[in-house]
Amino acid sequence: MDGKVIVITSGKGGVGKTTATASIGAALAKDGKKVVVVDMDIGLRNLDVVMGLENRVVFNIVDVVRGKCRVSQAAIKDRKIDNLFLIPASQSDNKNSVTPEEMVLVCKDLKNEFDFILMDCPAGIEQGFENAVAGADEAVVICTPEVSSIRDADRIIGLLYAKKITPKLIVNRIIPAMVEKGDMLSHEDVVDVLSIELIGLVEMDDQVIVATNTGSSLVMNKESKAGMAFTRIAMRLNGQPGLPIEIPRTQVGLFKKLGRRIGISR
Amino acid sequence: MLNELLKKWRGTKTTSSQAAKKRLKFAIVYDNLEVSDDILDALKGDIIEVISRYFEIDTKSISLDIDRSEESSSLVLNTPILSAIRR
Ligand SMILES: Nc1ncnc2c1ncn2[C@@H]1O[C@H](COP(=O)(O)OP(=O)(O)O)[C@@H](O)[C@H]1O
Ligand SMILES: [Mg+2]
Repeated sequence: MDGKVIVITSGKGGVGKTTATASIGAALAKDGKKVVVVDMDIGLRNLDVVMGLENRVVFNIVDVVRGKCRVSQAAIKDRKIDNLFLIPASQSDNKNSVTPEEMVLVCKDLKNEFDFILMDCPAGIEQGFENAVAGADEAVVICTPEVSSIRDADRIIGLLYAKKITPKLIVNRIIPAMVEKGDMLSHEDVVDVLSIELIGLVEMDDQVIVATNTGSSLVMNKESKAGMAFTRIAMRLNGQPGLPIEIPRTQVGLFKKLGRRIGISR
Repeated sequence: MLNELLKKWRGTKTTSSQAAKKRLKFAIVYDNLEVSDDILDALKGDIIEVISRYFEIDTKSISLDIDRSEESSSLVLNTPILSAIRR
């Protein structure tokens, strides 16, 4: 197998990296790919609880790096989705417990066994970021439509370019009603500022919190707009780059539709 | 919808997202102009080397700074010349 390593990163914390990693990973696996998601937030492990696998953690990524176990021992199989695996972060070590060089080697191993390897990057631009990015072939940058998040994304994009990686952008936590009122940056504004390729728009969705409450997968919920958006992002990453990007909008009445048609309303 | 129409006609009041975009663009331009002291020191060393081929200068009193204003940024070099090197 010759898998692809994709790092999911943002600079700022709390913008949706972990949510996106779990959801995109699940969607790719549902599509028949063999997927492993790796929690690179060493010391602050979270991907296990988001995926509802916290009870099954035995080994972690630091164990894999140190050769204490094989990849197949550390990779926990998902409860519901075949072909989906998690390698958790270690909770007791810190971000300097592994080095970028070691991660490059681990990624090489993982590429032999999986089609997709998704790295859930920690916040910040220090060693944790360097480790998560070291073995990556591609990168996805997530931001929310807020000034601080976009500024941090710009910084991260610069760092990725310096590593010869051209990242793609997800805008998460969009609130359509606010965008339409002019009180939230639109995705056009965000793309204009960051000028990188967009691969998905995800709206604010209560179902994200419901899914994390129970440790179930967002993409299994057909009612979830965020879940569907992540599914389409996965399809774009998986050989359908041309799939149109759906723009989150409020429910519309006749007048608004008319307004959109003649170009005076969003 | 009606609000938006009115806004379009009046075309005056800026929305908070327009303000956000303006501030963001400025912050990012500003961020990109920030140069670390290490880089500035390295540049200074290189400049001294080049200038020294043409002028004898007092390398201790040379100053190299970045001046920022709202509109633009400039690199300002100031050095007294002791003498020109004849060749
Ligand atoms: N589209 C969304 N709608 C609603 N809540 C979201 C959405 N995306 C993320 N969240 C919530 O935001 C918080 C931070 O998300 P998380 O994925 O942990 O971010 P990160 O990994 O970047 O720190 C979590 O509580 C998560 O449930
Ligand atoms: Mg996280």
